[in-house]
Amino acid sequence: MSTALIHCPKCKAALIGEVFNRDDFAPCPSCAAPLLIEVYPAMFRPPSKARTGEAVMMEGEASCFYHPQKKAVLPCEGCGRFLCALCDCEHQGQHLCPACLESGRTKGKIKSLENARTRYDNIALALALFPILIFYFTIITAPMVLYVVIRYWKTPPGLTQGSRWRFVVAIIVALLQMGGWVAVIIALATG
Amino acid sequence: MAEKEYLKLTPPRRTAGFAIVSVTRSNLWLGKDHLLGIETEGYTEKYKRFYFRDIQAITLLRTNRAFVLGVVTGGMTALFALLVLAIDDVVGKWVFGILGGICAIPFLGNLIYGPTCKCELRTAVQTENVPSMSRVRRARKVLNRIRPLIAEAQGQLTAEEIPSRFREMIAAPATEPPIMQPPGSAPGVPP
Repeated sequence: MSTALIHCPKCKAALIGEVFNRDDFAPCPSCAAPLLIEVYPAMFRPPSKARTGEAVMMEGEASCFYHPQKKAVLPCEGCGRFLCALCDCEHQGQHLCPACLESGRTKGKIKSLENARTRYDNIALALALFPILIFYFTIITAPMVLYVVIRYWKTPPGLTQGSRWRFVVAIIVALLQMGGWVAVIIALATG
Repeated sequence: MAEKEYLKLTPPRRTAGFAIVSVTRSNLWLGKDHLLGIETEGYTEKYKRFYFRDIQAITLLRTNRAFVLGVVTGGMTALFALLVLAIDDVVGKWVFGILGGICAIPFLGNLIYGPTCKCELRTAVQTENVPSMSRVRRARKVLNRIRPLIAEAQGQLTAEEIPSRFREMIAAPATEPPIMQPPGSAPGVPP
């Protein structure tokens, strides 16, 4: 089974025939399953050639920070280290070394490399709302909500959501719960 | 107001689990030069980016899930409706009426959303299932939306030229596999 070809998702037969870029569903020639397949030019783009660093030829020629035997072609835009063609990672028009790229990803500085985020706003909201079902838990969870909101307020929410409304709702609910507990304690203390 | 970085293409679709608190949901967003697939698992979001320049093919396979769902929920609605008509007890009528109403909601929803499909998105390095494009109507809308963006990034292919391009690709001698540097992963320092 060639991986370069497109296969029917149902019968896994390789498709070459007349099923591509049709306006409507067309039957798979092998299993007759209705398929709608759109193929784009990237399918036929030849694979790009792997880059190799050029060896240093002359004494005193600038060499790569990571590969001293390879010729430097440009400096890293993050740290300024000289890089060979092999170490030059181009990302959105920027030329970075592997270390800067990695630190940009782990520290969340390069947003387009982020591949996961913890939704602390959802955690705060759940922590504020779910314990209401068993109200006694709120005496513990309300301060926890305050901690989560204060600790993670500056952490950006989801990649597609910029607002912090969940944090705001969570803190309002938590403050109401804490106010309720204070009222209960005062009422019990005063008899 | 600042322009939104991402536009929602599909609503979240549950892909695993039955719990109310913790489920896996998947949805698709449209970015400036890519599609962003978000998989929400508990309180963590995982991101996958599909750049328009890299998308090789999108495959839709029509499934019979909508039909099965329609038969099951429709059958149960009809059954409860018959029970409401058959019994004389007022409380019983109310109970079966409510149960019938509960079954009618997914039945009607299924009718409104239309036929179902399975969607796969292919790039040079992966074939990714897109669970949120599970309805034909929605999938077509998304395709119509992204088709010009992909064409802008890659150009266009006609239905007639694709089979010949595939035959050419099969006939061409195998090339050396490329070293991939996907934007989502920072490579370590090469040896």
